[in-house]
Amino acid sequence: MKHSEVAEAKRRGFSVRLLAACVLLLCAGAASGQRHLGYDDLTTRQVRLDLRDLGYPPIDVIPSDCSAIHALALAPSGKIYGATSGRQSHLFVFSPRRNYVQPLGRIPNTVAVHHALAVDADGMVYLGSTRPVDNNGEGYAGYEGGRLYRYDPTGEDNRPIQIERDCVLEDLGVMVRGEGIYAMLLDAPRRKIYGLTYPNGRFFVYDLATKTVAIKGAVAESFRPGENDEREKSIARALVADDEGNIYGSGEDGRLFVYEAATQRLIKLATALPAERARLPFVVIDSFAKDAQGNIYGGTSDGYLFRWLLKERRVINLGKAIRQYRVRGLVFGANGKLYGVGGEPGVMAHLFSYDPRTSEFDLLGFIDVSRRPYYSWQAYQADAMIAGDDGTIYIGQSERRSKLFVFYPW
Amino acid sequence: MIKSLLCVLLLAVCAFGQAPVVTLEHRNFPGLHEADSAYSALFVASDGKVYAGLDFSGGAAHLVVYDPVKDTVRDLGDMIYATGENGSGSAPQSKIHVKFAEGRDGKIYFATHYAIDFDRARLVGPRSYTGGHWLAYDPRTDAISDLGIGRARNGLITMTMAKPQQRLFSISDPHGHLLAFDIATRQTRDYGRVNNWDSLCRSLAADDEGNVYGTFGEGRIFKYDVKDDRLKDLSLQIPHRPKGINSHGRDYLKSESGWRVVIWDEIDKKIYGIEESSCYLFSFDPKRGAEGEVSLLAQMALDKYVGQRTVPFATLALALGTNRKLYYAAVPEEFDYSGSKSVAASHLLVYDLARKQKTDLGEMRLADGRRVLGCNAAHAAPDGTIYFLGAVEVRPEAGKPLEIAGKVADIPYRLALLIYKPSLSEGKTK
Repeated sequence: MKHSEVAEAKRRGFSVRLLAACVLLLCAGAASGQRHLGYDDLTTRQVRLDLRDLGYPPIDVIPSDCSAIHALALAPSGKIYGATSGRQSHLFVFSPRRNYVQPLGRIPNTVAVHHALAVDADGMVYLGSTRPVDNNGEGYAGYEGGRLYRYDPTGEDNRPIQIERDCVLEDLGVMVRGEGIYAMLLDAPRRKIYGLTYPNGRFFVYDLATKTVAIKGAVAESFRPGENDEREKSIARALVADDEGNIYGSGEDGRLFVYEAATQRLIKLATALPAERARLPFVVIDSFAKDAQGNIYGGTSDGYLFRWLLKERRVINLGKAIRQYRVRGLVFGANGKLYGVGGEPGVMAHLFSYDPRTSEFDLLGFIDVSRRPYYSWQAYQADAMIAGDDGTIYIGQSERRSKLFVFYPW
Repeated sequence: MIKSLLCVLLLAVCAFGQAPVVTLEHRNFPGLHEADSAYSALFVASDGKVYAGLDFSGGAAHLVVYDPVKDTVRDLGDMIYATGENGSGSAPQSKIHVKFAEGRDGKIYFATHYAIDFDRARLVGPRSYTGGHWLAYDPRTDAISDLGIGRARNGLITMTMAKPQQRLFSISDPHGHLLAFDIATRQTRDYGRVNNWDSLCRSLAADDEGNVYGTFGEGRIFKYDVKDDRLKDLSLQIPHRPKGINSHGRDYLKSESGWRVVIWDEIDKKIYGIEESSCYLFSFDPKRGAEGEVSLLAQMALDKYVGQRTVPFATLALALGTNRKLYYAAVPEEFDYSGSKSVAASHLLVYDLARKQKTDLGEMRLADGRRVLGCNAAHAAPDGTIYFLGAVEVRPEAGKPLEIAGKVADIPYRLALLIYKPSLSEGKTK
């Protein structure tokens, strides 16, 4: 459409407007009232929630169908890295100083990065690839397996944004043949990367020093109960480490496991996640967060929040913040509160907080930004959350056309 | 000088006081006077019968048919029963918010929608909505078949048929996903989210190859590409007014930058449509150039609004007549049935594609002088008749109960089928 055509339409109406203006002089008092500001009210305090496009809109953004965010990570520099999923995965970085998302390019031969992104102390970014997950294990026949990649950020501030080109990555190889990388954790001091795979729940350890991978077993052997066509195993979507380097997650029968750093053994624990008795085989850990004292909190696929008492190897069920399943992201804010995002597929994501000092939940509403030109943009699905070094919380929308949300919890 | 100015003003007022009037026939919907709204759902089938979807907030939508030969209106069914949800306790199937489509099998396809989602509070939980159903009415058996839910907890807000493939395309509300239903296999495929709340597209168009088009964001066009079986975001924009404050108290969720209503023209092989915020009439030729070409044709607003920012939100009442003219029921005030804050008679605007000329035929009124308060659906019959579906003024009659759906501002109204014969009355004034 050409702007001159709009001008022509306006010009054609000009003579009519003159006459109408004269009439309006006579009836100006009857002019209709202004649109009241209550129309802009939403469920969340708008000054605390905002969003960023994945690039430089309207054209130079990570495309639709390629922009679902399932992985975010904080770098020591304060930058936030993200990886997308869809028809093609992309890597991006958000610089709080610059306030823009910088697309870094396509991740070669990759359509999904699920909870598998981490940044080392030296700024190197590690990401693990997979095929689409949580889909009954479909699409893995003939799959070579998810690869571990390393991205070197040196000089990225001076690079142009890259959308149609591949990101330069170092390929560290396939972690487990035929399996995608489903969850990943970097233990920087011990120079190890731990991972769980999909669809069969293999636990692997990648040694950054020797560049070798070792498979330590499976956290789930059998399909969980279901109809004849259901082929899912119970595999944690997140891992966490204690101060000794032991790694925790959940597997079959809703039980926690530990990978002991000292013995290098994968051990299934008797401790069960919070769940109704019949639902225990279906429950997995969705997310973990650690507070400043090293206390570990987790969220389950049934939507429960829990605290993991390391020494006692006991779980305390803290309850449910929202009626939906899934706690897809958990982070601690600078104010000591635990912030979470939850919600099952096909419904609407909700934000909540939990204050460990008062055991109080606070429901913060939908992930909903109302400002021009968006009014409004709602994330119905969000599957990644990370806290920035200044306490800002970043939330990754995980839909066909997604954005990075920025939440200020103060 | 002052006397001269006053004379001009007086003449102007007199001229405005004698606004031309276009008189339409109408048919009421017996027994369904409580139906309170209608959107898009009007369709003239190949046999000339006119199908309409009547909405009822808090209750059941109804499918009705008008037979112009017998001059009868018949209620074909209650959508809560048609979907098998009577007694289920779920939120009701209160709307048919889609344009109907006629399949090769002679069936009339359509879909259902909810009326109120209580600020999305009932997406889950007690009284939540099951989801809009794909449905088919078979004129031979006089039966409605339930073809299943498109997307759980979502209504189906618009629909078009890709005729070569016999697939129905719809956008779900509130999630904004593009869905495709294959009539042969009865399978629904979800192509993912195309719209957010910055712009929810209320009208889809399919071309003769089966490509499907809609809008997103700031007037951008998306395309379902049938060859590649995938969605593409085109770089084209339709003419639109940038978002901003509107003086009419427009509903917050009106997106304001997409197209409101579109029609695929089999003759020109183009889409004709009206943008929602300033009522720009445009054509979109999807086969010209790499992505297609968009052209502005006119502004289908009352003359007093042309070039202004205060154009009332566009209606869904656009039809392409057999005489190659586009007929559009424009509203002089922001209109959304009982949600309207003020009231005025609709105007019938005509755009002649051959002469490239817009004409305001005047206020739409019934034979007894009652006003047409607003329309949100239109379709042209093969014989040239233009049908509209909308709200008409109801006046109390002594000794008769007042059968109304509610009030537009303070004026009682009910829904009616409006019939306009271009060859007989076009351009005449009273």
